Amino acid sequence: MVLKLLKKERLLSFLERLMQKFLLVAPVREGNLTVYRPVKAAAEVAVDAPKSVVPPKEWFFPQTEEIYRYATSKENLVLEENVLAPPAVLFGVRPCDLRSFQVLDAVFLQEPADRYYAARRENTLLIGMSCNTACPECFCTAYGISPLKGTGADIHLTDIGTAYLVEALTPKGEEIVLQDPEFYEEKVAGIDEALRAKEQALTAEFAVQVAVTDLPAKMAALFNHPYWEELSRRCLGCGICTYVCPTCHCFDITDENRGNTGKRLRCWDACLFRDYTLHTSGHNPRHALHQRLRNRFFHKLKYNLDRYGIEGCVGCGRCVALCPVNIDIREVIATVRGLQV
Amino acid sequence: MKVANPLLPQPATIIDIIQETGDVKTFRVVLDDPDAMAAWRHRPGQTAMVSVFGVGEAMFCLASSPTSRDWIEFSIRRAGKVTTAIHQLEPGAKIGVRGPYGNSFPVEAMRGNDLLVIGGGIGLAPLRPLVNFMIAPENRKDYGNIEIIYGARSYGDLCYKEEVFRTWPETPGVTVWTTIDAPEEGWEGHVGFVPAYVAEIKPAPENKFVAICGPPVMIKFTLKELEKLGFKEEQIYTTLEMRMKCGIGKCGRCNIGAKFVCRDGPVFNLAALKELPPEY
Repeated sequence: MVLKLLKKERLLSFLERLMQKFLLVAPVREGNLTVYRPVKAAAEVAVDAPKSVVPPKEWFFPQTEEIYRYATSKENLVLEENVLAPPAVLFGVRPCDLRSFQVLDAVFLQEPADRYYAARRENTLLIGMSCNTACPECFCTAYGISPLKGTGADIHLTDIGTAYLVEALTPKGEEIVLQDPEFYEEKVAGIDEALRAKEQALTAEFAVQVAVTDLPAKMAALFNHPYWEELSRRCLGCGICTYVCPTCHCFDITDENRGNTGKRLRCWDACLFRDYTLHTSGHNPRHALHQRLRNRFFHKLKYNLDRYGIEGCVGCGRCVALCPVNIDIREVIATVRGLQV
Repeated sequence: MKVANPLLPQPATIIDIIQETGDVKTFRVVLDDPDAMAAWRHRPGQTAMVSVFGVGEAMFCLASSPTSRDWIEFSIRRAGKVTTAIHQLEPGAKIGVRGPYGNSFPVEAMRGNDLLVIGGGIGLAPLRPLVNFMIAPENRKDYGNIEIIYGARSYGDLCYKEEVFRTWPETPGVTVWTTIDAPEEGWEGHVGFVPAYVAEIKPAPENKFVAICGPPVMIKFTLKELEKLGFKEEQIYTTLEMRMKCGIGKCGRCNIGAKFVCRDGPVFNLAALKELPPEY
């Protein structure tokens, strides 16, 4: 691992240097929202912006994506694959979202690997950014994530006042850092202590402390508990929790047709929608809202762990912040852990 | 190097269409790339995604025998958007096929045993490759007797009539019982529902596997009869249907608990199925 310091006034040059070789995808402000977008100038990057509303998974798994084009005629069928994966840097990814890529990797890179996701993941350098503040909905530490650690990133930055601590965590990251030694200064003494103190202070700011011990086993025993139906009474089934979730990976595939040619598209989908599991026959395995809401929580808190060995929630709290009826996954976790089997 | 794209279908051509019943047609399909067709292998119970471009894609069981090298077949009931579009196609039409997907009936474990096949209506489609695999000359010696109990609403609703009334009964070691729900002119065979017919035939449970597929209500009542006859849950296999988009465990919607029907199924034995939430 290579450790350096990057003075804050040099961050712009650092980003501009990256832009010589890579498409820079970074947090930008659109209205009062933070979103990850390809930028044209480094100055657009909202370095200190709050956590994005839509998670950066959008870069690897876009909300709508053309997967191929088709052209049909009586004698012929031509399919033209469309895999877009320019060399890119995804900059400013928070520790919770870095973990989400490990969760998505388990799904999309499992054989047979998803070609679109895999190509962009392969061609994207990940630069993480530690958190400076804790949002009221944050609970990443419940999953062993530190708001100051860049696990999963190639390079990770942490704000330490007048400079960023730069950690190059992979060979790809080291190559980038080592190519421009003039940007950096050597690490100075006392930083580790400062980081520890900052981590403690941030975590103490979390409004709710969440523990997930024994949760999967507890949930298995409570599948038929009336709690799920009670909880679902206020759910609107709007699906916003899935839309802003950094680990939700469900998608639909549809055709956009024009005469004999068209595009096959892949779009985000949500297990909370009624027609998500609706069979052609009219039969629907999860016809009731409480079954769908229960499936979502079971997926996040149990099924993903059972299937892939990694928790399906990263504690980013976006679903907590955005739910119009205040369904709070932290509350669900606490309630389930407290229910009598 | 060309990297495989599991979502990209193989261009294919419909070479023949067999009208099975009023609303079921069997489509005989050849992959346009001769190498891909030669390399195609599937196991009994596996599925594939069929595309009608401009309309969409849907998952169907492979209805042809795994021993067929020259084509693959899908038996499709006209019911929704994609199936209606497929029904309008003529021989020569271009479609897309990707697969095969999923697990299969446990033909290795079934070796040396007898087989009881119970089908209702188009539910015979995923069971047909199992029967045709076992009666193929190269495999016949590996398997014992095969009993097939097959029912439908009417004579017109019975699929694969050539095999059900001729090929299978004429194969040594194979017995076929057919039944229809209500009497009709010209039908001299059995009349009545499948579960009652199973109770009447009284198949013995020893050294036998059961493969069952049909309408949920038929399966439900037949299982009760099988239980009375002494069959164990571990002996009985069925195949599930689910709405699917990808077929490769990524799009999410065919989950039952932590299992994906597209990858961990579609074939489950009843003991394994009972471990899962009742969301199918």
